[in-house]
Amino acid sequence: MTATKIAAATAGGDSGTTNAAGQPTATGATGTPLLTVADLQIELITEAGVIRTVDGITFTIHRGETVTIIGESGSGKSTTAMGILRLLPPGLAVISGTVQFQGVDVIAEPRAIEKIRGRTVSLIPQDPMTALSPVHTIGRQLVEAVRLRRPELSRAAATDRAVHLLEQVRIPHPRRQLSSYPYQLSGGMLQRVIIAIALAGEPVLLVADEPTSALDVTVQAGILDLLLDLQENSGVGILMITHDLGVARLVSDRVYVMRDGRFVESGEVEQVVGEPRDDYTRALLAAVPTLGSWDEDPDAGAAAPAGRSATASAETGETR
Amino acid sequence: MFRYLARRITQSALTVFLTVSGVFFLIRLAPGDPAAALSSPVATAAELDRVRAQFGLDKPLINQYWIFIKHLFTGDLGTSFSFQSSALDVVLSRLPYTITLAVTSILLTTVIAVPLGVWMARNADTAREFGANVVTIAAQSMPDFWSGIMLLTIFAVLIPVLPAAGFAGWDGLVLPTVTVAILQIALISRMVRRDMVANLNAPYLVVARARGLSNGALTWRYAMRNSAIPVLTALGTRFAAMLNGVVVVEVVFGWPGVGSLVVRALETRDYPLITATVLVTAALAVLVQLLVDLAYPLLDPRVRLGKGATS
Repeated sequence: MTATKIAAATAGGDSGTTNAAGQPTATGATGTPLLTVADLQIELITEAGVIRTVDGITFTIHRGETVTIIGESGSGKSTTAMGILRLLPPGLAVISGTVQFQGVDVIAEPRAIEKIRGRTVSLIPQDPMTALSPVHTIGRQLVEAVRLRRPELSRAAATDRAVHLLEQVRIPHPRRQLSSYPYQLSGGMLQRVIIAIALAGEPVLLVADEPTSALDVTVQAGILDLLLDLQENSGVGILMITHDLGVARLVSDRVYVMRDGRFVESGEVEQVVGEPRDDYTRALLAAVPTLGSWDEDPDAGAAAPAGRSATASAETGETR
Repeated sequence: MFRYLARRITQSALTVFLTVSGVFFLIRLAPGDPAAALSSPVATAAELDRVRAQFGLDKPLINQYWIFIKHLFTGDLGTSFSFQSSALDVVLSRLPYTITLAVTSILLTTVIAVPLGVWMARNADTAREFGANVVTIAAQSMPDFWSGIMLLTIFAVLIPVLPAAGFAGWDGLVLPTVTVAILQIALISRMVRRDMVANLNAPYLVVARARGLSNGALTWRYAMRNSAIPVLTALGTRFAAMLNGVVVVEVVFGWPGVGSLVVRALETRDYPLITATVLVTAALAVLVQLLVDLAYPLLDPRVRLGKGATS
């Protein structure tokens, strides 16, 4: 846990009482929120009929904050992430409510998202193995992302920036990796490349949709550690989507427990884990076989075993 | 790579040889008598025997085959019964017409089918795409002799802007090309659509969209590039098939290609000419297939040629 995060968590803890709707009445951060979601509803049109996947959720993310939505498969958490980014197929998803990125409402003005994606907000997807085009080199995709954000850069300057980004996500021999194809890298390395591509847009908010679910436990800790370091250095806000309590405990400032499209409980991470109020949260916590004592200073090494046990239990319920 | 090429060329040569051998026996087993086809309808048995002896058809089958093999390796495929000249030369003289028609047809197919398929993919499951579906399914269902005759009737008879038959000038190429391409456009565009829909919904494309890429870049730089392999394979296969002669279209338009030649060769039981045609077209088909295979690693970095053979 970083110093900033502890400070933010403490500040949030002082004022973070929750109301009946499960919303924190105040947060420790100030200024225009990076993301404001209010009464978001998403209905998916399927063969079986219209399904309300997300049913009136509300939350905000401020600079430097990590907000986690935790829930089981089908709870609507990934749909929330994709809906916020307007990445759901337009003909198959009906979205209503408010989603504002630094004040710009992308529900009211759907085309506004095109200027926001890759600039204000970047996505870190679930499965790094399928998240890059298999027939293009990593360098091509990374340099493309760099030049999309900074069209004024020459090819050489963009390549230098790409190398710098790969260094930032701690990829060894970054210049050499530029000519690699995705199939030549491990899942953990690919997720680092994808984070580098996400950072190429110089976003103020990262949407991480189960960023570690497809990775080995040992690799998971490294990726989460990297995200926290990036956040400490740049103050980027993170919306973390996970089913993994270990991940949620490690990274979150605030946690929203989602079930059937609604938030059943929310609050500071210690409070939700330590004194769950909702039966579903208790059930979720009970599903973790060995929940160790809550450590105020979990480093990456200490977090790994917790992450493993949580993953193991949650995966039994996952039908992904 | 060189070992791979050598292996592929050997395999191709063997394929062609086996194909030609198979045809050699099959046409002789098929009903029909070349002597009767070449002689007058009232020819006597003695006259027929004389014709058979002239072309060596009186010898046992295995001897005929042995002679055929010996001549094959000297590049001699025998003398055409009906043309009375080298069967290979007859085929080769027709080949430019078939290649021309195949090239123009595959170009027309590619130029129309790929954008059409992409358009259908981008408008997948909309009313507009439904219209395109109706058109392509109709085109796919039209027999080429019918669409050929319809085009002839409209553009050579009712509005005589194009020649009806034969190869008098380049405008004679238009109707046969369009006739061949109609069916291919219908098939290939539906295939492009299918692969493009799969790629446009692939996780990597959603992630690429999330990093702010425009629709044009997503469609062409990503989805089309990833669809290139199956589409190229299909185009290569269709092209190889066209090189074998588009029989019906060539007959309808009196096109002097290999397709109409093979019809005549079969009608007259011209064994050497049939064999020569099969040899040439089979060689072309395996050559095109080889070129398509060689293009794979250029399109997909994950494909490595000759894997397992060179290890």
